[in-house]
Amino acid sequence: MVSNFVDLDVRPALRAGEEPFGLIMAAVASLQEGEGLRLIASFKPVPLLHVLGSKGFSHEMTELDGGDWEVRFTREGAADAVEVADAGAPAESTWPEPSRSLDNRDLDPPEPMVRILAAIEEMQDGEVLSALLCREPVFLFPELAKRGHKWQGALSQDGGTYRILIRVGAGREAA
Amino acid sequence: MVGASLSKWTMSYFAAALLALIAAEGLMVAGFGFPNAPIRGPETLVLVHLVAIGWLSMLMLGALFQFVPVLVARPLHSNRLPLPSLVLILSGLAALLLGFLQMGGYLALPHSCFPAASALLGAGVSLALWNLGRTLWAARPLPISARFVTVGLASIAVTALLGILFALTLGGVVSHPALLAIASQGVPVHAIVGLGGWLTFTAMGVSYRLLAMFMLAPELDGASTRAAFHFGAVALALVIFGGVGLILLGGHLAFALAAAGTLGLVCVAIYWTDMVHLYRARKRRVIELNSRMAGFALISLGLAATLALAANILGVLPRLAGAVAFLTAFGWLSGLGLAMLYKIVAFITWLECYGPVLGKMPTPRVQDLVVERRALPWFMIYFVAVWSGTVALLIEQATVFRVSAGAMTIATVGLCIQFMHTRRLDHVLTLTSLPESGRPRLLMSAT
Repeated sequence: MVSNFVDLDVRPALRAGEEPFGLIMAAVASLQEGEGLRLIASFKPVPLLHVLGSKGFSHEMTELDGGDWEVRFTREGAADAVEVADAGAPAESTWPEPSRSLDNRDLDPPEPMVRILAAIEEMQDGEVLSALLCREPVFLFPELAKRGHKWQGALSQDGGTYRILIRVGAGREAA
Repeated sequence: MVGASLSKWTMSYFAAALLALIAAEGLMVAGFGFPNAPIRGPETLVLVHLVAIGWLSMLMLGALFQFVPVLVARPLHSNRLPLPSLVLILSGLAALLLGFLQMGGYLALPHSCFPAASALLGAGVSLALWNLGRTLWAARPLPISARFVTVGLASIAVTALLGILFALTLGGVVSHPALLAIASQGVPVHAIVGLGGWLTFTAMGVSYRLLAMFMLAPELDGASTRAAFHFGAVALALVIFGGVGLILLGGHLAFALAAAGTLGLVCVAIYWTDMVHLYRARKRRVIELNSRMAGFALISLGLAATLALAANILGVLPRLAGAVAFLTAFGWLSGLGLAMLYKIVAFITWLECYGPVLGKMPTPRVQDLVVERRALPWFMIYFVAVWSGTVALLIEQATVFRVSAGAMTIATVGLCIQFMHTRRLDHVLTLTSLPESGRPRLLMSAT
C-alpha cells in the first residue's frame, strides 16, 4: 500500500522549455518501497502514462485549476502475484498490453465500477484496460457483457486484490 | 455468464415485508397478543407469525434473491420463480393467521384454514429453496458467508416442516402418536431453529460480506469466522436432531436445548468479536448511516445474548423468554434489516436507473439518492423504543410496552417514507433531472 507520495512539479521546467522526461525518470528511480510519485504538469502526459505503465505503475489523474494536471503514480506491487485466469472470456494470448491502468482498491463501492465504465468509454476498440479492485466486481460483469466488452480477471493469492483486464469492444468484434 | 444482475421481485418482497411490520407493530400498540395475552395463545401466534413470516422472512428472502448471487458471483437460478414464491407465501400466511383467529374464536368458518396454510406455505418456501439452492449448488465450493446462508436455508426447511406438522395437527389431519408427540412438545425447536437458525444465522452470513463491502474492511474468512460457523451449525444440529430425538424417546428436551444454547452463545460471541474487528479494521473512516445503524443492531444482539445467559443462570429464563425474543426479533433482526434496507433500496434503484448509462453521461452517486440526516432521527427513535419496550417486558409494564410499540410504529412509517423517496428518486431530482428511463417502478426492477 502506498503510504506517501514524492512530489515532482515539472511546470517550471516546461516553462523554461526543457524536456522533463529525465527528471521524471530520475524521480521514479529514487522511489522507495511503498512510495508513489505525484506529478504536476501543464498538460496531460499521455506518453508518460504508457512508459510508466509498462514499468508496472498504475495512475490516477486529476485536472487542476488552470488546465494543469496532477497524476499519482503507484507501483502495482500487489498485482505481481496476481495470476490472471480465464473468467469472462476465452483465454486470448494476443491481448495487447494495457493502455490504461486504474487502481480502484481504496474507492467506496460502487465507485470502482463507475470509474472503469467511464474509462472504457474513452478508449478505442481493441485497447485494454487494467484495473485493481479490492473485490470481485460482480455487478460490473453483466454491464461489460451488455456493452460488448470482454474481460479476464482473478483474485490475488492472499485474496486482497482482484485484477481485471478489459478488452474494449472485443465482444462486438466476435459477434 | 458470471456476475450478478438485479433481482426483479426483491422490491415487492421488501414492500410486503414492511407492510407486515407496520401491521404487527399496530397490533402491539392495540395490546393484541403478548404481553396482554398468553405467550402461546392464538393472539400471540398471530403476532409472532406476522413478524416472523410476513416481515422477517419476506425481507430475508427478498434480500437473498439479490445477494446470494453477490456472495457466490453467479446469477440467480431463476429471476421468475420469486414471484410465485411471493404469492404462495403471502396467501399461506393469510390462511395461517385466519387459522389462529379461528382457534381463538374470533372467526367462525366451516373448515379449518390450517391445511390450506400448510400447503401454500410449504409450496412457497420449497420454490424459494429450490431457486436459492440451485444457485448455491452451481457455485460450489462455497465461500464462508454462503455456507452460513446454506445452513440458514436448511433451518427454514426444518422450521417450515415442523410448522406444517403443527398446522396439520391443529387442523385435525395428523393422528400418528409420534407426530403428535413432536407437535405437542416441539414448539421450542420450531421457534429456536426459525429465529436462531434461519433468521439469525443467515443474517450473520450476509452481514460478514455486506458490512465488509460497505466499510471497505478486509473480508473475514479466518479461523474465528469458521469457528463461529461450526459452533452455530453444531448448535442447530443439536436442537434439531437432539431435540426431536429426545421427544421421540421420551427424554427431556431441556438437555438438548441447554447444550445447544451454550454452543449458540459461543457462536454469537465469536461473531460479535468478528464484527467489532470489521468496524475497527475498516479503511473507510466516515461510515454511512446504514453501517452506523447496523452497530445498534449488533449491540441489541449482544444485549439479547447477555440477557438470555443471565436469565438462565438466575433460573428465570422461561419467564423472560418473551423479552429475549422481542429484543432478538426487533433490536437485532429488524434493526439490522431496516439499516440494510436503507442502503439496499438506494443501491438497487441506482443500479437500475443509472447502471446502463454509467460512463456515458454524468450520473449521481448512490449516496445522492438518500438524505441521511432525515432518516437518522427515525432510526434513533426506533432503537430507543425497542430497548424501552424490552425493559417494559422485563418489568411487566404492559402500558409502557404499548407506548414503546407506538414509537416503533411511527419510526417505521418515517423510515418507509424515506425508502419511498429513495425509490422514486425524489432526493436526487433536487440535484439533476430524471434518467432517460424515467422513474423506476416501485415494486419491480427492470432487469
